[in-house]
Amino acid sequence: MANLDCFFSPKSIAVVGASNNPRKPGCIIVGNLLQKGFPGEIYPVNPKEAAVLGKAAFPTLSEIPGEVELVVLITPAAMIYGVMADLALRMERRGDIKALVCAAADYGETKTAEGVRRQSCLLETASKFGIRVLGPNCIGVIDNRTRVDTTFVDAGIPADAYNTQSGISVISQSGSVATSIIMMGAARPEPVQFNKFASLGNMTDVDFIDLLEHYEQDKTTSVIGVYMEGYPDGRRLIETMGRIARKKPIVVLKVGRGQKGAKAASSHTGSLAGSDATYDAAFRQYGVIRTDTFGELIDTMISLDRLALPRGGNLYILSQAGGFGIYCADNVEKYPFIRMPKLARATADTLAGLLPPMAVVDEPEGYADITASASEEQHAQSLAAILRDDGVDCVILITITPSFISQKKLGESLRDAYLALPEEYRKPVYFCIMAGEYVRESRRILEQAGLCTYDTPLEAVRSARDMMRYAGYLAAKEESL
Amino acid sequence: MKLTKTLDELDSKRLVASYGVPVAVTTMLADPDEISAVARQIPFPWVMKILSEDILHKTDAGCVRLPVPDVGSARAAAGEILANARAYKPDARIRGVLVQEMVDADIELILGVNKDPQFGHTVVFGLGGIYVEMFKMVSLRLVPLTRYDAIQMIDELPIAKIFDGMRGRHFDKEQLVDALLALSRLAEEHPEISEIDVNPFLLREGGGKAVDAVVVV
Repeated sequence: MANLDCFFSPKSIAVVGASNNPRKPGCIIVGNLLQKGFPGEIYPVNPKEAAVLGKAAFPTLSEIPGEVELVVLITPAAMIYGVMADLALRMERRGDIKALVCAAADYGETKTAEGVRRQSCLLETASKFGIRVLGPNCIGVIDNRTRVDTTFVDAGIPADAYNTQSGISVISQSGSVATSIIMMGAARPEPVQFNKFASLGNMTDVDFIDLLEHYEQDKTTSVIGVYMEGYPDGRRLIETMGRIARKKPIVVLKVGRGQKGAKAASSHTGSLAGSDATYDAAFRQYGVIRTDTFGELIDTMISLDRLALPRGGNLYILSQAGGFGIYCADNVEKYPFIRMPKLARATADTLAGLLPPMAVVDEPEGYADITASASEEQHAQSLAAILRDDGVDCVILITITPSFISQKKLGESLRDAYLALPEEYRKPVYFCIMAGEYVRESRRILEQAGLCTYDTPLEAVRSARDMMRYAGYLAAKEESL
Repeated sequence: MKLTKTLDELDSKRLVASYGVPVAVTTMLADPDEISAVARQIPFPWVMKILSEDILHKTDAGCVRLPVPDVGSARAAAGEILANARAYKPDARIRGVLVQEMVDADIELILGVNKDPQFGHTVVFGLGGIYVEMFKMVSLRLVPLTRYDAIQMIDELPIAKIFDGMRGRHFDKEQLVDALLALSRLAEEHPEISEIDVNPFLLREGGGKAVDAVVVV
């Protein structure tokens, strides 16, 4: 198996095409590495500048005196011939470069003779010296633990969030989708940092299988997210995914489903999208979680990273708001494998004792409306009581906080009641605290404690469904062994 | 150019039957004089149809007769089928006339194998007969299938409830699971196969039977 450590934990990084112009990607790459505090050496390469963002610059790769492990190429594609000749010169003398990220586009994906020629120049020189190549036409890699960031993405994540760690590692075939996933993660009530991130682009060398196997072995990765357009050897891909899915969940957004989309994928990354019906069946058969929207992709990755898998198919809806409770029940009922259980007598009695008189429990079964008069503590205590019920495997909690409820107290009460439970009762809870900017504080309190919040019940149901389906798959596989 | 060969109905049925797919009793009549002898093996009524790898749409060609109630009708039917076949496609290679037991059906299903350019062999299961094209109600899995996969294929069809019993009638779901597994084994052992269509597979109380099959190599 190919060792991709050189991309995720290099000792030093050279940025060819580094720039002081803040509008150029060559500036943002150096800026990201500096801002995230990459601990190794950073070598900007620019023939016209003495320094880039305060770091001493070198006119060419071959003139860098120190050891270079990873090279990031962000020069215009037409310059590839000169850059590779210089790289070859360095390798003959020093032989130190192990990996190369080619961020620039206008290579093989254009399907022009010149584009293809550039791509083969890149690949031939690299493989001559045993250098692994990511791209071209990609945004490169991020490793939140080693502080590597070769992307030119400014996601607007506050610097203090860099320390938050997750087990979510992502592979994106598209650079712009990769960028957007990072930005969407950053825009959540509590910004999400991805553990490892790689954008594949044209896949001249490093491809899906290399990265999947890297994440498979990586102990810090607990969930793998994939955005894909196509892969030539579907059989090998699905067998790799299937093997990994038995150990770590894989969440996929696969596009190119229809004829138009497949054609667009072919001109975008040069991929053959393949038959969507076959992909869909293959994902089901091998336990890969397929999602339909970017929101679901991110929600489900986060949920799988933070929550335990539901032990069974019993989901309880605990709602403070009738309308959204009904909306939630409608969405749950679409999936015949999700049951809404009746509470045990003791649980119902506990709830009757602590809820407002108007509250309705188990009408219908698996559904409680604690009403708009419920206090912060009543939210929290009823949740705890339901989680203690052995017939319940997970809960969706919905609340539309009225003005007499404190956002802070609500978040804290829910968090504290949950964390006070013995571990066996800390079952998955999908929190919907609605809505918008108004409820950001309660959501942040829960998210910071490692819990999951969703924009609306629909998103909560989708993530719960994805997790139940995956848990069901694992259980069936276990049984058939 | 792609070299393909289509096995005729009799060879296709024998091949899928040899792997365990239940198939209606079928034999070939090389000569109309054999009718009385065949009648001792297959009780009337019969289905009679042309056996030719060159005539795929047998009904359109006027090459299917059913029900055939007795020896006299069988003799007439054989003559008509052969004449219609020659009129429909004068250069068609004709092996003879097939005789098959009549099978009643509650539901027509399709069981099959396809070859995907990126994934290789897949098994398909769905609503068969004339509904295949109309509703495209099929489920799909990659070969090789596990028993769990085969059950899932059946369960994920929108009409899955039928297989658990319909208006007091009970169908043999296990038999369907076994038939899907049989096709998976067949495809696995014969990489040269590009397509298998067991359509229709007639499902009725107590068990189903394939009444037509095509294997493309």
